[in-house]
Amino acid sequence: MSYFLFFLLAIVSIASILAMILTKNQAYNALLLILAFTCTGGLFALIGASFIATIQIIIYAGAIMILFVFVIMMINIRDGIPPERKKWTIYFSIFVAVVFLAELFFALKGTLAPLSTSGIEQSSDPTSLGRLLFTEYLYPFEITSILIIAALVGSIVLVKKKENNDSN
Amino acid sequence: MNTFSSLTPLLIIVAGALLVLILEVFLKKEKKDYLAYISIVFLLGSVYAGLRFWNQNPSYFNGKLLLDNFALFFIFILAIATILVTLISIKYIFLQNTNHGEYYALLLLALSGMMIMVSSTDFLIIFLGLEVLSVSSYALAGLKREDPLSSEAAAKYFLLGCFASAFIIFGLALLYGVTQSTDITVFVQSFADPNLSLLAVAGIGLIIIGLGFKIAVIPFHMWTPDVYQGSPTPVTAFFSVGPKVVGFAVLIRIFQPYWRAAVNTEAVFAALWIIAVLTMVIGNLIALRQTNVKRILAYSSIAHAGYLLVAILSRDNAGLLFYLMVYLFMNVGAFSAVIALSKKNKEYLELDDYAGIGFKYPWIGATFSIFLISLAGFPPTGGFLAKFYVFSTAVREGLITLVVIAVLASLVSVYYYLRIIIYMYMKEPSRDITIHTENPALFFVLFLCLYGVLQLGIFPGNVLVFIKQAVASIL
Repeated sequence: MSYFLFFLLAIVSIASILAMILTKNQAYNALLLILAFTCTGGLFALIGASFIATIQIIIYAGAIMILFVFVIMMINIRDGIPPERKKWTIYFSIFVAVVFLAELFFALKGTLAPLSTSGIEQSSDPTSLGRLLFTEYLYPFEITSILIIAALVGSIVLVKKKENNDSN
Repeated sequence: MNTFSSLTPLLIIVAGALLVLILEVFLKKEKKDYLAYISIVFLLGSVYAGLRFWNQNPSYFNGKLLLDNFALFFIFILAIATILVTLISIKYIFLQNTNHGEYYALLLLALSGMMIMVSSTDFLIIFLGLEVLSVSSYALAGLKREDPLSSEAAAKYFLLGCFASAFIIFGLALLYGVTQSTDITVFVQSFADPNLSLLAVAGIGLIIIGLGFKIAVIPFHMWTPDVYQGSPTPVTAFFSVGPKVVGFAVLIRIFQPYWRAAVNTEAVFAALWIIAVLTMVIGNLIALRQTNVKRILAYSSIAHAGYLLVAILSRDNAGLLFYLMVYLFMNVGAFSAVIALSKKNKEYLELDDYAGIGFKYPWIGATFSIFLISLAGFPPTGGFLAKFYVFSTAVREGLITLVVIAVLASLVSVYYYLRIIIYMYMKEPSRDITIHTENPALFFVLFLCLYGVLQLGIFPGNVLVFIKQAVASIL
């Protein structure tokens, strides 16, 4: 069963990434990327990292995708890259892809054998994570609340409607 | 004292920010000045709460919150900087149509981030504090919403700030991989090992680059002139002091133990040496060609970061702290004088506007000249003593070449500082300048900064005692 799920999720995520790259419509791109992120979350759940799976879906499929959608809405690119620059871009991306592939290969070659699931289980248990957050990391955890207030106030100040100078 | 009371300096500031935000809703537009006075009360309360811990050196939350004399000294000067900036903002934000009550709340939140940064040796906490500071700063930079330059400043600051944060967090991740800890003292111990992992060197290099963006050293300075020019002027004064002071506080926290513990310091030393030289030489040379006073002061603050790096290289913490204190007064003073030359919806920022100002507005001209003389480093001002302490320690440490370059660079800087003074006193006024003079808070700040610059230049004794105690607490 788990083999079946693994291959299903892996194939769907690779297929959706490929489809995302090949599709021209930006709305479909965004949706396919969400699908890919969700499948990756499922892969994490399969190896028992339930917390990382949840975070993957909440942060990537939720928060980061909203950012992408906003950017698509605001910038509204129709024509894409002009053809004379396109060639250069393709060569460059092939180069980056090859370098990245080599890097992945060497990284995996060194680490794949000693890796076991024990490390993942230990750190991704939500209970122990919560306990750490409220004991050892209490101070940084509370600081993040100040950070969120600052971000909220800052963004509201920058986007709120302009007040009329004549009236109070 | 218990753990809760150790948080009081920080909590008072955050409570002040929240109170300002709540009251902002109920106050009429003309009465928003009250918010400034409320924030000053909270700032003074926080300073008082902090100074009770002087000479006790307590630490809380497993060493994550450290209120040693060093941290308290920085909390003290950062709070002073924020008080001065709040005072010079009162009229400015009213005249320049940036009168949002959230302004003071954001200033207080930025200060809380800086307080978090200076009072810890845990880099995770320092990073979170840096983010609190940065996020508030991005919003402050863009507060003049009708002015495209201000929006440009906010966008630029935001993008390069994210870039800097990415460098720091990547460096932190590498160092965590090597040491399994986020604490600076543990990081540094890993450098005592002769077969040092390359990851640790890369980690500390990335952290230096990230902090380099914050303290605006060359080649990480590209954002500085545009952000300083576009931001509302009191915010520029805040940027030129706040992030720079905390950046150097964190650098001292790293390098004070690093120079002693590390087996091989040559690579890091050489990197900092080159950055210091580039910052002093290029910063001062580009400043020669500027005609906008805010941009001149921006490049001058870049050049000063170079002199401060000389103090880091010569391990002269006392000299560095003294320099930062003098820098606070002379820089805020200079920006206050720039703010003084403004009226409703208009600021005078070009050099040509300053022609003849020295005779038309003698007080502003005279104080501005003294701040510029101090920035250039002439006696009897604080700027001279600060440079003298830093350079003479560097000579004693054997950094002769570096000091020669630094002195030559500061000779170059004399030209553009004196150029402003020459415009103010020796040029015929070509434009009609009228300014809004009913600004008691601003003149009070000008007076305070003048007092600070002269006190530190003529009788620095009392302050030096405090600085010695502050430096002794991190040995």
